[in-house]
Formats: sequence, structure tokens, C-alpha cells
Amino acid sequence: MLEVSDLHVARGATHVLKGASLELRAGEIVALIGGNGAGKTTTLLTISGLLRPRAGRITFRAEDGAAHDLAKLGAEQIVRAGIVHCPEGRQVFASLSVAENLKAGAYTRKDRDGVRADLSWVYELFPILAERRQQMAGKLSGGEQMMLSIARALLARPRVLLLDEPSLGLAPQAVETIFEIIEQLNGRGVTILLVEQNAQMALEIANRGYVLQNGAIANTGTGRDLAADPNVKKAYLGMTQ
Amino acid sequence: MSAYVLQQILNGLTLGSLYALVAIGFSMIYSIVRLINFAHGDIAMVGAFATLGLVAVDAPWPLTIATVLLTGGLAGITIEAVVFRSMRGAPQVTGFIATLAVSVVIQNTGIMIFSGQPRNFLFPSVMRERVALGPVTISLTDITIVTMTIVLLAILLILVKRTRLGIGMRAAAENLQVARLMGININRTIMAAFALGSAMAAIAGLMWGGRFGQIDPLFGFIPGLKAFVASVIGGVGSLGGAVLGGYVLGLSEVLFVGLMPSEYSGYRDAFVFFLLILILLVLPNGLLGRSAEERA
Repeated sequence: MLEVSDLHVARGATHVLKGASLELRAGEIVALIGGNGAGKTTTLLTISGLLRPRAGRITFRAEDGAAHDLAKLGAEQIVRAGIVHCPEGRQVFASLSVAENLKAGAYTRKDRDGVRADLSWVYELFPILAERRQQMAGKLSGGEQMMLSIARALLARPRVLLLDEPSLGLAPQAVETIFEIIEQLNGRGVTILLVEQNAQMALEIANRGYVLQNGAIANTGTGRDLAADPNVKKAYLGMTQ
Repeated sequence: MSAYVLQQILNGLTLGSLYALVAIGFSMIYSIVRLINFAHGDIAMVGAFATLGLVAVDAPWPLTIATVLLTGGLAGITIEAVVFRSMRGAPQVTGFIATLAVSVVIQNTGIMIFSGQPRNFLFPSVMRERVALGPVTISLTDITIVTMTIVLLAILLILVKRTRLGIGMRAAAENLQVARLMGININRTIMAAFALGSAMAAIAGLMWGGRFGQIDPLFGFIPGLKAFVASVIGGVGSLGGAVLGGYVLGLSEVLFVGLMPSEYSGYRDAFVFFLLILILLVLPNGLLGRSAEERA
């Protein structure tokens, strides 16, 4: 569905991605793990069009068979194509209300009825957001902001959802909720690329995973295999033999 | 309160309206692109000169208004597309200097076309008639300025608060990158901010000309600077703050001149900047501004 091949990306003078390749098949949850500065966020930002690759291809094949080279599209067209990036660090629009944040998420959509249906769906998914819909997003707790950030991305009706560190800085209970929601979304047919520091949890729910190291894929396999891999255990799961 | 003070308050409201109209565009542009646009006041001048011929022949007012809004909007879009767009992402000081350059270019183009000589800019005589309002009098021009400002600000407020474009503008103002992730077309949103803000400035220029009766290619500079002060007093980037700052500034400037002995009236501009310093000493983020740390 989404294929990243031999991606090279520089940020300023730093060559961050050095030939990273990965693939998402329709309906999968794919975890992308790796240390700080390995290039996880850069990968997502390049897929969503905020960064331009130096070389490499990002091919998106929609259900109708049409293939898009995302490296040639702008951020707006990429969202319209159905690839939606939920950024790191719960970056909600703090001075906008919850409802307005969700409207911003639906910015590219013209199908009013569909948007209305999706709104009541995300309010059902996150009842706390329905309660607080008139509140400024900046006044929400960290967990609530993360929920809003995901809900906002859902309003764009993603076929592929790029999730950057959804558990970062959240209380364990909130993390639990977020991961449940991710699995629920996947059950509804959303393909998910999940970037996580919390490699353990990410690999638990992922069909497959990739380990990114120094800008290239160092290892790949099913979630279970990676979680059992001694190198992965040592480097990313904080376990020693 | 004496009739004299009331009269001064009315005058201050009129001047404040003009400042508010220019200041809101200043803040609108700043909030999205973090650009302190020193050419903004010159758009007011462009607006006045664009309607010079129409005002001279007493053209129907809807035509004059439409012309000034259109010219202002187009001027804003043009300088954004030609100059500022290529500087997005550059250090703030680069953009700041570029706006000064654009200001100089606009002023000198004005001088080349119209010469530096002040031109009469007279509204029809009926506009200059004063009507009694209790103990005070007010000209139709001033009534127009105040009511038009209120109407335009209300329209702008509805636009920013209620429409899709408005949500896009506020989202972009808060976080440009995340706004792009929502599929918000940043170029179009920034263009809209320049068009709207510049149209407001241009119409302020038209009314400024009509109120003071003369225009010259350099006249936009001082209102532009004062509108900048107004938006800083209100809290840079806050639209409500810009309006509040405009009225605070207009009122205090007029009251300063009106209530102080006449030999001090030459210090009105100095007073304005003194007021700015005073307010910033007490409230570093302005009256309604958010602190820098709260910003994404």
C-alpha cells in the first residue's frame, strides 16, 4: 500500500536518512522503532511531505489501484490522498477549542455528512472530548490532548495513519487507552505506521516492525520475532540477558 | 464631564478606529508569518492614492469602497507573493529588513508617479458637515469612520471565528507545520491574511485622507508606525488586542493633545512611544498578548 524505498533525507547539514526502505501492506500495524536521532520522525515527515527527500521513492497505492509518488506531491495532496500524520508531542492547536481542532482536521474534506458522521464517531471513541468540545485545547490534560491529536487526524479520514510517539509523556493508564484505540482503528481498516519509544508495547500490537539505526533499516520481522530478538531486546527493550 | 472632553473622546474614537483598522492587519500578518510588516502603513497610502481620482470626481461611494478594498488586497497579495514568500523560513531579521525595503520602494514609486507634493483629498462637502450629538458635534466623515470600522471588524471577526478559512488561519497562526499536516494550504492561507489585512489598511488610508484632507506618498509611514505600536500595546499577534490597542492609542493621543497646554501638542508622537514603553514595562506581552512560552 505504501512503499518507501532507498530514502535519503537531509535536515540542514545532517544526512539523517541514508537509504531507508520499508513497506506497509493494507490493514497492517507496522512499528518503526529505533533510538533517538535514528530518523524515525524524519521518515514520517518525509512521507507526509513536510520534508523533501534527496533521493528515493515513496509510492502510495490507493485501493483503486492508482499509484502516487508522494515525493512529488505537496503536504495538502498527501492528506487528500489519505495519508495522515499525527505529529509527535500532542501538537494540538492550543488556542482553538476541541471542536475547532477537529474541524481543522477535516479541513480538506467537502463531504459534510461524512464529516458529521466521523465527528460523532470520534466523540463516541473519546467521550471526554465530547464533554470538552467547547474548551480550549490548551486546557486539556496531556492524555486528553493526545486523544484530541489522534481524533483530529481521524477527521481527515486516513487510509494510512502515521503516528509519532503517541505514548510519549503519558501516564500508564492513558498509554493503555491510546494503544487500545490504535488497535480499534486498525480493526476498522486503517493501516498504521507507529513510531514509538515504547518499543515493547509497539511490537506487541504490530504485525511487523522495522528497526531504524543511523538512518537505515537494521532489522525487520514480525512484531513477535523482533520483540524476541536479543539485539532488539538489549538496545530498545531495556533488557539484558 | 465637560463638552470639550466629550468632544476629544469622540475625536479619539475616530483616530482609534483608523489605528485599529491598520493594526488588525499588522497583527493578522504577524500572527501567521511572524513578519513585522513595515510596509503595511504604505498600503494605506496606496489605498488613498488609488481612489484619488474617484474622490475628486465624487464617484458613487460603493465604487470607491470597492476600488480601495480591491487595490489594497491586490497590493498585499503582490508584495507577499513577490517578496515575502521567498523569505519564509529565513531568519526573522531578514524578513523585517525586507519589509522596510518594500516600504521604501512603495513610497518612492509613489513619489515618482505623483511627486512628493501633498494633494487635496476632499470628501464631498456633505461628509464634512457636522451634526450635533448632544453637547458635541461630529462630522459625517467621522461617523462613517467609526461605524465602518465596527462593521468591518465584525465581519472580520465572524470570518476568523466561524469560517473554514478562519480556522485555517488560526491553526496556521498557532503552528504552521502542524497546519500543513492537516492539509491546510499554507500559501493560500497566508495570501488571504495579506489580502484581508491590506484591504483594511487601504480603507483606513482612504478615510485618513478624507479626514485630514490631504495625502502625499509618505503619509502612510506614521499611521503605520502608530498601528504597529497599537498592535504591540494590545499584544502582538492578537487580533482583539490590535483593536483594543488602536483605540487606547487613539484616545490617549487625542486626550494628551486636547488636555495638555497647547505648547505640548508637538510632543504627541513622543507621547505615543512613551506610552508604549510604559505599558510594556508593566505588561511585557501587551494588554491581551499571550506570553512567548505559551506559543508553540
